[in-house]
Amino acid sequence: MRVEIEYTPQGIYLPEIDLWLDPQERCENSWISHGHSDHARGLHCTVIATPETLRVYRIRWPEDTETPQDLRCLRYSESMEWRGAILTACRASHILGAAQLLIEYGGERVVYTGDIKLRDSICGAPTEVVPCDRLIIESTFGLPIFHFLGQEEARDRIVEFARECLDDGITPVFAGYPLGRGQEVAHALCQAGIPTGIHGAIARMIPVYEDSGYGFPGWSAYDARATAGKALVVVPGFRATLEASGKNFRMAYVSGWAGLDNARNRAGAEELIPYSDHGDFEELLAMVERSGARHVDVVHGYTEDFARILNGRGKVRAYAPHQAAGRSDSDTLDS
Amino acid sequence: MDELALTCEQIARWNSRLRKVRILADYLRPLSDADLVRAVRFLCCGPIPAGEGKFSVGGSTLREALRLASGWDAQTLAACYAQVGDTGETVARLMRGIAARRPMSLADAELLYARVFKQRRTVDKVELLRQIYLEHNPETLKFFVKAITGNLRIGLQAKMVEEAVAEATGASLEDVRSANNRAGDLPQVALAARRGTLGEIRARLFHPMEFMLAKPLDAVGDVADPRDWWVEDKYDGFRSQIHAEGDRVAIFTRGLESVTEAFPEIVAAVKGAGQGVVLDGEVLAWRDGRALPFAVLQQRIARRKLTAELAASVPVVFVAYDVLYCDGTMLVDAPLEDRRRAMEKVVAAMPLILIAPQWRVDAHEEIDAAFTAARQRGNEGLVLKRKGSTYEAGRRSGSWLKVKRPHGSLDVVVTAAETGSGRRAIYLSDYTFAVRDGDKYLNVGKAYSGLTDEEVRELTRVLRSVSTDRFGKVTLVRPEVVLEVTFDGVQKSPRHKSGFALRFPRIVRWRRDKRPEEADTLHRVKELYEAATGAGGS
Repeated sequence: MRVEIEYTPQGIYLPEIDLWLDPQERCENSWISHGHSDHARGLHCTVIATPETLRVYRIRWPEDTETPQDLRCLRYSESMEWRGAILTACRASHILGAAQLLIEYGGERVVYTGDIKLRDSICGAPTEVVPCDRLIIESTFGLPIFHFLGQEEARDRIVEFARECLDDGITPVFAGYPLGRGQEVAHALCQAGIPTGIHGAIARMIPVYEDSGYGFPGWSAYDARATAGKALVVVPGFRATLEASGKNFRMAYVSGWAGLDNARNRAGAEELIPYSDHGDFEELLAMVERSGARHVDVVHGYTEDFARILNGRGKVRAYAPHQAAGRSDSDTLDS
Repeated sequence: MDELALTCEQIARWNSRLRKVRILADYLRPLSDADLVRAVRFLCCGPIPAGEGKFSVGGSTLREALRLASGWDAQTLAACYAQVGDTGETVARLMRGIAARRPMSLADAELLYARVFKQRRTVDKVELLRQIYLEHNPETLKFFVKAITGNLRIGLQAKMVEEAVAEATGASLEDVRSANNRAGDLPQVALAARRGTLGEIRARLFHPMEFMLAKPLDAVGDVADPRDWWVEDKYDGFRSQIHAEGDRVAIFTRGLESVTEAFPEIVAAVKGAGQGVVLDGEVLAWRDGRALPFAVLQQRIARRKLTAELAASVPVVFVAYDVLYCDGTMLVDAPLEDRRRAMEKVVAAMPLILIAPQWRVDAHEEIDAAFTAARQRGNEGLVLKRKGSTYEAGRRSGSWLKVKRPHGSLDVVVTAAETGSGRRAIYLSDYTFAVRDGDKYLNVGKAYSGLTDEEVRELTRVLRSVSTDRFGKVTLVRPEVVLEVTFDGVQKSPRHKSGFALRFPRIVRWRRDKRPEEADTLHRVKELYEAATGAGGS
């Protein structure tokens, strides 16, 4: 028997157990896979998520006394009963606290990956490949042109670029998203002993990371008057402000999109460091293969291309639901 | 080639022009003579030496070879290419992990290009490219292919390669530039620069040479002694260069592209020029002994194919005012008077080629009078040329001065604004503006410059407060802000709803004293256009 899954512009819905997966609007019962703003949104009545994700969710969506909510904490490897199904949170390498959801219902095992990569992140848990019958996977970078660096190489490149600039007397600037990449880059820099100025939007999530054991020795809040000798980690839109300030800086773009040269124009960066919190093409293929799933639903990014490529390789039946693109791309837009 | 590819990646990761040049110079310096020639050729001229023919391998051939080499289906390949936007980079990304990584020297690359070039049939080219893709480093293939598609996309302009050649060889940049301008063959120029034989580089025709440019002069009184200058009319046409040798003729514009096909009557006039000549001057629409407005001439270029009716309704002439090359000799270093004599001699035998009249003046008042006369003849103003000066190719040195008065000014209303770049990236500094037509505002142009930083900042604040919508960089605003703009002319424009566009609009000032209802009207713009083209009533 197959679990019924509906793909709608509001998100993915499992009608038999009345559960939404990362819905875009306020819903009754929702699983939230991680804290990016395009996933953790809306004052749902019941929210199921990992403790780290719930904490970020609460920062983004402060409690509203008019709307009582039931926040259910599901730790990694913990299971809970939910309307006749068993839900299990499984580790996902993406950002701190990101999780996949294993749904066991009617004898079928369905895994919803949320946003994910196979290799380890600079910060956050390693991915656990969960054997399943049906896999709902993202394909933000589901084309064979995308190859990314592992976290060790990415760290080295980040630190190397910062040192190269500082030796030249130029301020190194890293554009990172407010949650995830920003903290990872800052963590790599601080750990290497490089004094780092961090933009407020990124800095406000640092306590969440510190509580999970990631250190940021020597970080300070970004201050336009005190940038000498420091590396800066800022949000992507901050480039214009820096330019207008007339500072001598070079910018590095740490992103999956930095895997293409045209990112230089799009992001206005000189140094491209192709490191993402999403899997590259090979990682996505490996995850599909190792899950053992016979059915694969591709829900974000190059869905049709990736599904066609999977089908062309045999072994699995892949499908790209048309209504699945209901959310924005967390790798390009996260605020 | 492997090294060259690595160098290109390094060049790409610096915005600083100086750093790009230095990285390239450091790479070129230790190369053997033969490799220096190859490297410079691949960087800025293409895969095969100039004059050996056209290396006609297009993107579809290159990508078909990629399909066969990588094993990806056509649909996936198309999706990848659409995302990457560059054939060489797509090859590199898709051949990763498949290609055998055999090293490729510059000599190897030259040989491979020659083998591809020799194949007559496309299928054979594809097969050869497929083999090349499978054997070499993807990082190298990226630039191996980019040299074929002709755009490296690493922010390296030809001028910067000239600078790097000078830096790497110790030759003066001036000499490298001048030799390249004569010969249009930078690889050979690089070799000569290293050998110290730049002076022996001979001129070669039929590649566009750099134009000498005139500096604007605000007031005639700014010229210290009028007796130091020759005076000519400033014509409002297409600045062009005519290359002619025997029956071969080419006309290049200042964008350095060929417009030869657009002006067959000029080609016919100079055909059979004999020993070879390069003339500098202006193509003008011409009737009854005077120039027609620029807008009329533009009709000749706007059409892809020149029809007989168009050739008849817009007759053209070429007004020559300088000569760069004549009878096997570059004349750019000869004084202006000598060049003029040489030009008069050559042009004497050519119908449709006029010579720009030249005067001497003794006093400022005479320049003023000449200006008025030039305007009455329908010309734009004057050009003053310093007596005894050389032809400074590619320069705006001040040995030529242009005097033109603006066409007029209009009060216009801002309807949209964009953020600028660099220092002005956070300000709305580019303005689209309109004139009134009843209760509507119709756009007639866009202007960037003319306001102080202070004004731009304040205007940004005001415009943001009246913004109605945003599309990316563009902010639409309620028509409230009035600017006074000056411009060089009015032309027809299919792009604007008004049907007109101002030429070279500049902002004179922000008219805070005026309301949008007081702005100029479309009717006024039409009047200006008709007055200029003489189209009134017809």
